[in-house]
Amino acid sequence: MTLRSAVAAIAVAVVASACQEQLPTSARDTLIPAGIVVEVVLPFDEFGSDLRVYGGFGRTSERGGGFVAHEFGAGTDPDAPARPGLQATTLIGFGGYPASASVRDTAGTTRTDSSLTFLSGRIYAAFDTVGSVAPGPVGLVVHEIADPWDRTTATWEFAVDTAGDPTPWSAPGGGSPQEIGRATWDRAQGDSVFVSVDSALVHAWADTARDFHGIRLEASTPGTRLELRGLGLRLQTRPSLNPDTLLDLAVSARSSTFIYDPPAPPPAPGEARVGGVPAWRTVLNVAEPADLNGPPSLCAAVPCPVRIEDRHVSYAGLQLFSRVPAAAYAPSDTLAIEVRTVLAPAFLPKSPLGPSITGLTGERLAPEWFAPPAGEVVEIPVTGLVRGLLNEETSDGARASRAIALLSVLEPLSLEYVSFESEDPARRPRLRLILSFSEGGG
Amino acid sequence: MRARLPAFLAGVLLAASALPNQTSAQSLMGVRGLGILGGAAGGRASAAGNLGIGLAGVEISATDPTAGSGLAFPTISVTMQPTWGEFELGQERGDVRVTRFPLIGIAFPVAAAGGVFTAAVSGQMDQRWAGEVPRVVDIGAGVPVSDRFEADGGISVLRAGWVQRIGSSFVAGLSAGAYLGRLDQTFDRTLDSLVLGGDVRNFVQEGAWRYSGAVVTAGASAAPHRLIHLAATVEWSSDIRATPADSARGEPGTYAIPLRVLAGATGRLTPRLALNASVAYQDWSGAKGFAAGATTGAKYSFGAGLEMQVVRGARRSLPVRAGYRRLAQPFRFESADPMETVWSIGAGLNLLESEGVRRGWLDIGLERGSRSSAPLVERYWRMTASLGISQF
Repeated sequence: MTLRSAVAAIAVAVVASACQEQLPTSARDTLIPAGIVVEVVLPFDEFGSDLRVYGGFGRTSERGGGFVAHEFGAGTDPDAPARPGLQATTLIGFGGYPASASVRDTAGTTRTDSSLTFLSGRIYAAFDTVGSVAPGPVGLVVHEIADPWDRTTATWEFAVDTAGDPTPWSAPGGGSPQEIGRATWDRAQGDSVFVSVDSALVHAWADTARDFHGIRLEASTPGTRLELRGLGLRLQTRPSLNPDTLLDLAVSARSSTFIYDPPAPPPAPGEARVGGVPAWRTVLNVAEPADLNGPPSLCAAVPCPVRIEDRHVSYAGLQLFSRVPAAAYAPSDTLAIEVRTVLAPAFLPKSPLGPSITGLTGERLAPEWFAPPAGEVVEIPVTGLVRGLLNEETSDGARASRAIALLSVLEPLSLEYVSFESEDPARRPRLRLILSFSEGGG
Repeated sequence: MRARLPAFLAGVLLAASALPNQTSAQSLMGVRGLGILGGAAGGRASAAGNLGIGLAGVEISATDPTAGSGLAFPTISVTMQPTWGEFELGQERGDVRVTRFPLIGIAFPVAAAGGVFTAAVSGQMDQRWAGEVPRVVDIGAGVPVSDRFEADGGISVLRAGWVQRIGSSFVAGLSAGAYLGRLDQTFDRTLDSLVLGGDVRNFVQEGAWRYSGAVVTAGASAAPHRLIHLAATVEWSSDIRATPADSARGEPGTYAIPLRVLAGATGRLTPRLALNASVAYQDWSGAKGFAAGATTGAKYSFGAGLEMQVVRGARRSLPVRAGYRRLAQPFRFESADPMETVWSIGAGLNLLESEGVRRGWLDIGLERGSRSSAPLVERYWRMTASLGISQF
């Protein structure tokens, strides 16, 4: 290596080694400004207005799953002891039986068999073991629905409830059905029950000349409200390619919904409500926080009044006081609610809503917060909303809306709903702010 | 390769200079006032323990306006300075790694006028450091927070000058320039979301300032004897103004910069060995605009060193150098006056010399320094590499 090459190599090595930088970083407290953090809780009048509740969003058929209930919550509402309990039943209609199945024949080859013999059937129901309320084993009854019904409009009173042609059930609650069988669900035994369907009925349902409108599942034990995770029909089937084998084939569901009675009572005065099916939403207008003249700890550190800017808001939480809902609709499992901006408040209740402020999963609310005596403080983070109001635009540059809606995540989420105080002066919604300032108030 | 080597080295150094955040030093000493005095010495001066004044021979210097008097051809010089250091602050230990480009200069002889035009950009003050500390704030309940403060900035000097040879042994030089710089400060507070709940945002407070000011340097050098070279300069600065920049928050400031006087000399002890010594005086104790107690009482910096030609050919030479400097920093870390001491060695490669004037060179200095202002102690290894090319 020549001298020049060595010098060049040294120069390159020096340059390369110098490309990594490391700031001298000290953990000495006195070198770093202390900063100021204060908590401010604004009463409703200082940030909110025009709180109102809208209902009617979504249908039971959009909910999926279903509910069965029998005299649930009857006589337990202190303010309405005569209120009847909740009756709910789940309806399901089926498509045709499977036309073929993949079968391993006697030679071991998997082939499509279109000559199937349906021997018998089983109706199965799977329940949410956490969300279901049952004092003990629950009696269940499965009926065949006698009336034609419409999955999107069926209610307790009407099999079809279109505007031009409402058709009531032959009897409220799903008509006058024919009982297929009974079963008892015990939470301790598992999450599912089965009701056998004999071969005659299986053959009868396959007869296209006979109207088969589906089945109805209802509870017979008072004080129960069960949440269904699945309801269906499975057929014991003998394939022609391998007659010694029995197949268990599912019949596809064509439609399903649930109907219930009585409808949820309208919100009481001073009640904000979120959830239910059809769902309720609570809408309120919010304003950016005004200049602050307190608390004393803030004014001791920075000159008051303090003009709040978006960067000062480290955290904002909308605080709501829980209230006991009607017993029949009280939550029995965690419910998730979210906050969205109302994009066109003039078109409420049909205004489109903005993206969720509370994320995909929303804020999860424990059911015990809404059990008597309630009054729990529920806090929903709305930092982005408040910063957007102060900045007068959202993070994507749109002008921030001053109306927000509280609604359940994946609306309609559940038959249950949650209630909050909206007028009690001591329990109206509040806005909790965690504000950060640098020394000197900047 | 012979012709392309200097160009290649220049390319390497200039490419490195384009990297971001490479222009300032870093030191916790930079927490107060205008930061730490970075210095603008090239590889030869730093290795020879010189303060940038009074070195015999051809130089491109930011501090000595007469240094380029002997240049016969247009010349450019670039200096790069990587530093590896550590600091102690009480029980705390930390590392520092930084590269800066303290001096980039050009000289352009104007034969008709018998002088040399010079221009240079050099580092002056540096304010790059960070602090990170966990705290607990009390808002009814204790909320853990993590605070980070970062300062990123510094002041450079852009100057242009003229060097005029008067007679056979006297040179006068004058340069004028402007202070240029910027300081960005960021305070970033992270609150614990597990305590407060979701959707917690950081509090970020940013401040930014632009520095401006003027500086004029007048100097003279003389060779009263063929073995002696003397030089002295006086540097006057206007106040440095710190003006809030952009939309960031900050209060304006005005900082007085005291007069600086430098003097240096080189004496040739043998045909191959030369001794240099230099001294600088700048009294910061009465400087206005700074927080009480921030400026030091230290006034004098001085340095001395040897340069020996170990290889001397007809067109090339290879000098080796060693020196010592004691530098007075202008700002205290807390209440103790800071002091910086530097031992240095180095070597040069004069690629092409003609009649004792070098036209291309590579100077490298390696320094072991320490600076202290109780309770802060910093130690570092620093390499300074300068490349000079004439007739480019």
